Amino acid sequence: MSNTLLDVQNLTMKFGGLVAIDDLSFSAKKDHITSIIGPNGAGKTTVFNCLTGFYKATAGSMYLNKDNNQMDLKKFSDFKVAQKAGVARTFQNIRLFPQMSVLENMMVAQHNKLMVASGFSILGLLNSRSYLQKEKEATEISKYWLDIIGLTNRADDNAGDLPYGDQRKLEIVRAMCIEPHLLCLDEPAAGLNAKESAELNKLLKFIKNDKKTGILLIEHDMSVVMGISDHVVVLNYGKKIFEGTAAETKNSPEVIEAYLGTED
Amino acid sequence: MGKDLIQKSLKDSLFTGIIALALFGPIVGLRTVAKNEVLVVEPKWLVVLLIVIFCAVGRFFINIYTFKKEQRRGEASSFGKAISHFLDEKGSQIAIGAIAFSIIFPFMPFADRYWMDIAIMMMTYIMLGWGLNIVIGLAGLLDLGYVAFYAVGAYSYALFAIHFGWSFWICLPIAGLFAGMFGILLGFPVLRLRGDYLAIVTLAFGEMIRILLLNWYELTKGPDGLTGIPRPSFFGLPFKRYPDEGVETFHTFFGLEYDPMQRIIFLYYLILILALITNAFTIKIRRLPVGRAWEALREDEIACKSLGVNPRNTKLTAFAVGAMFGGFAGSFFATRQAFISPESFTFIESAIIVAIVVLGGMGSQTGVVLSTIFLIGLIEVFRDFESYRMIAFGGAMVLIMVFRPKGILAKRKPTITMGKHG
Repeated sequence: MSNTLLDVQNLTMKFGGLVAIDDLSFSAKKDHITSIIGPNGAGKTTVFNCLTGFYKATAGSMYLNKDNNQMDLKKFSDFKVAQKAGVARTFQNIRLFPQMSVLENMMVAQHNKLMVASGFSILGLLNSRSYLQKEKEATEISKYWLDIIGLTNRADDNAGDLPYGDQRKLEIVRAMCIEPHLLCLDEPAAGLNAKESAELNKLLKFIKNDKKTGILLIEHDMSVVMGISDHVVVLNYGKKIFEGTAAETKNSPEVIEAYLGTED
Repeated sequence: MGKDLIQKSLKDSLFTGIIALALFGPIVGLRTVAKNEVLVVEPKWLVVLLIVIFCAVGRFFINIYTFKKEQRRGEASSFGKAISHFLDEKGSQIAIGAIAFSIIFPFMPFADRYWMDIAIMMMTYIMLGWGLNIVIGLAGLLDLGYVAFYAVGAYSYALFAIHFGWSFWICLPIAGLFAGMFGILLGFPVLRLRGDYLAIVTLAFGEMIRILLLNWYELTKGPDGLTGIPRPSFFGLPFKRYPDEGVETFHTFFGLEYDPMQRIIFLYYLILILALITNAFTIKIRRLPVGRAWEALREDEIACKSLGVNPRNTKLTAFAVGAMFGGFAGSFFATRQAFISPESFTFIESAIIVAIVVLGGMGSQTGVVLSTIFLIGLIEVFRDFESYRMIAFGGAMVLIMVFRPKGILAKRKPTITMGKHG
């Protein structure tokens, strides 16, 4: 079981009378890309919002295995999930800081580390050398990630001025700057063209293999899902209707039914 | 295209004329005069006609030269743009020049008592603008009750100085600390609010502080105000013509003739130093993680949370730091006036400071200076025209919004650049 990164048991989320997630159990492994797919309104984003502390789940448990340390994600509220548990996420509609430069976006993601280094601003105001050193290191980390997505030459431009595809990639590497154990991506391929989604696949594989970061992926683009997923969870009306490898999912009658309807 | 534009503009200016007639007809046109102890209505239609024509023609030209600019091909470079480009290019030289000018200002031949008083007032507003810029410009929290912190600073300075007799340099940090604490006090209940709702609550907070000062008679002497606030001294040397027995004064120590201007000049340098400290602090903290978090919070709070930035602490520090500088400015105000009453801390003060920040261009330090000179300067120039000066004030705001809708200086410089390190 030590290979399990995320263990979700009997997760239920109700909004008044509406059951958005109904008794959902699944797990994600460390070196895996786990995809959550399903028709619109199936509750995929709600699962993310529960995991990342934006919603408080009605019932169920969520445990993250952080260096063999079981962390109860239900105990953390919003920003603490990212800060303490190391769960990073991106959003369906991109949420960058549009009026800030690309590099500044990356630096904000390293906020907690830099805040401590700047002695909660006091050392920073005094221009302490140790803080300047840490700031330089943070810039190096930013540069490392920007080099990977090929945006280093645009580091000083406003993030909002980037083309759409680059904004998507920037949001992913910005999330990686908090050095997460689990990266949750909400439709990262939405609105990307074929070339851009191929680049995205490469980036996600790099994060999985070289950075050893588990990825949880919500996606509609089947070329992305089938191309890189190690494990697929299919939701419909808040319930899990299928779980298996990409190839198994493709041929599952339940999944076909959920997407295309029944023959009669 | 051109004909269409003129036709549209004519229609628009006709409409403006009708609105002007509806507004100014009753307000200006009908005037009641007492004749033989009877109130008679005296129409002034000629004045109304002139106003209506002025509005309509003015609107026509605004239409042609600014609003419909994009329809006139390739003639986008307007006056405002040229100015802002110039300011962007020569920003640092202008800043150094402005600081140099403000240092030699008291020794200019024209700098008499009147000009010095205006300069001191402008400096106070610039400092308040820079303080509020942290809250509004950087953290994006629309605070309409900033004058409350100004008041807290002034009153805590006055009370400590009167009751304990502590000197300016001891009371100043205490007043800043108190104002900062009130900043946190305001911050807690408004953590979840933003935009309009935040503005309403902060506005109410400003009024609450003022009413508290008005009614807590035992402590604040209510509407009577606090008198006899000690004047600041120059490192222990007071500015007095007839000092107490055995006390050395500023003019005897330096072997000068007594001149009341010495104190004014000292006050001027005091507020100049305080304002420059505020500015230097803001410029520095913007480049620190907390400053970047403020701006990130202004851009997108949800994204901040997803990156593990604590929105509560970040907002509270913005409120506290902004309030602290308001408190410093308040102490200066108290020691300059030697008398404070709740009347000095009405909502209009908050409104002027917010106007300075917004019209200057959110987050721009130089913009605050420019809009202060423009707005406060205009109010002063028009002082002789009494009630018309508020029209001038409003007109200035309209002009800035027409020519520079995002404020005088809207361009934001990144806090860190790749070029510096890589």
